[in-house]
Amino acid sequence: MSTSDAASPNTLGPFEVSQLMLTATANGGSAASGTLVGVSDHNLIGGRIALVSNPEDELTRKGALGPTQLNEAGFAELMAAIDDRRAKDGIRTLEVNNEKFEFYVEIRRPIRELVVVGAGHVAQPMAHIGALLGYQVTVLDDRPDFATRERFPDAKRLVRADFADPFAEVTLHERSFLILVTRGHKYDYECLIRALRTNPRPAYIGMIGSRRRVRATYLQLLEEGINRELLASIHAPVGLDIGAETPEEIAVSVAAELVMLDRGGSGSSLRDLEQVTSRFFRDPNLSQGENEGGRREGQSNEADT
Amino acid sequence: MTYEDDKTLAEALKTAREAGRACALATIVGTRGSTPRKVGARMLVDPTEGLTGTIGGGCGEAEVIESAYRVLKTGFAERVRVDLTEDFTTWSPAVCGGVMDVFVEPVEMQTGDQEQLSEESRTRAPDR
Repeated sequence: MSTSDAASPNTLGPFEVSQLMLTATANGGSAASGTLVGVSDHNLIGGRIALVSNPEDELTRKGALGPTQLNEAGFAELMAAIDDRRAKDGIRTLEVNNEKFEFYVEIRRPIRELVVVGAGHVAQPMAHIGALLGYQVTVLDDRPDFATRERFPDAKRLVRADFADPFAEVTLHERSFLILVTRGHKYDYECLIRALRTNPRPAYIGMIGSRRRVRATYLQLLEEGINRELLASIHAPVGLDIGAETPEEIAVSVAAELVMLDRGGSGSSLRDLEQVTSRFFRDPNLSQGENEGGRREGQSNEADT
Repeated sequence: MTYEDDKTLAEALKTAREAGRACALATIVGTRGSTPRKVGARMLVDPTEGLTGTIGGGCGEAEVIESAYRVLKTGFAERVRVDLTEDFTTWSPAVCGGVMDVFVEPVEMQTGDQEQLSEESRTRAPDR
């Protein structure tokens, strides 16, 4: 981090940064890179740094932009970008010693995979909604006619697998979200026990099935020596209770559960949590101060569900 | 850009590097109005292998490719403002109504320093 006025010799090139970002995100970490794209001193243009955050939140600085103060401002901006889940790629302005620098920032988040086992009716909308949510979707089935591109246009990988050894070609890891929706209870069980024995274990294992079927599966798993703690980590029956019946509704229910776990939601109706209407009517000052339109809105919300 | 786009670009950059070829990289760093691609979209201009990725196609892209060849010659980065609104009266396919701000930079052949850095990143690669 010298104070040279020419483009720092330690600056990163596009090649280095692309490798850094790919490695970081494939590793389960985050990364941000920043490039000087608008500077009065032409020598500094194209200067690039990167900040890599591993899954343990340890940070590594890479590269340099030029003078120390500029570097510090650049890394601070990257830090803010990594910390803010809603931060978007784009130009930020760095201000150092009353001079402005246009700094283009890019952010990469860890890759998450949705592994859908079984390529039947539920799997189709599941793969679709998973892709919408930004997961890399893999669909597995032992029937080649089902795991097809036509049926799964958004899936990244379609794998033909024997359910006796379902994950031979698909590596499960801490960022895998596994959904078991095969055509039969028996296959779900076979895949489930293998998923439970992988190391590292997937972030999420969901299995479709009625209460009775789930109970039967658990009894069998206990016999196989799977401990109770592990059983409790399984999401079965899969999804949130929204009264889902059709395959599409079930996919929405499972997707809702994934989002809830990711973002830390309660799964309750926001109306019940916020209780806007009851608060609104309880407070006489509020209800008197509002016009009729406001009240009507409140009432219609209440009648919505 | 998606992870897949990143990977494709990284491959293309690697190919050029291994062949010891200089390239130019175009990145959309800002947009206003309606544009075919958004911020972060990239296109690598490799004089031998051609284009990898797209920043939208049509007239705008042609302008950027022109800039890329200039950058390859001079070795200096450029900012190109691609105005897709001016084409409104023409039959150009690039009539989107927006403006793109594109950064075009040289991707030089490796130096000793950079070699070391990529070495470091390799040792941090996932072991799965």
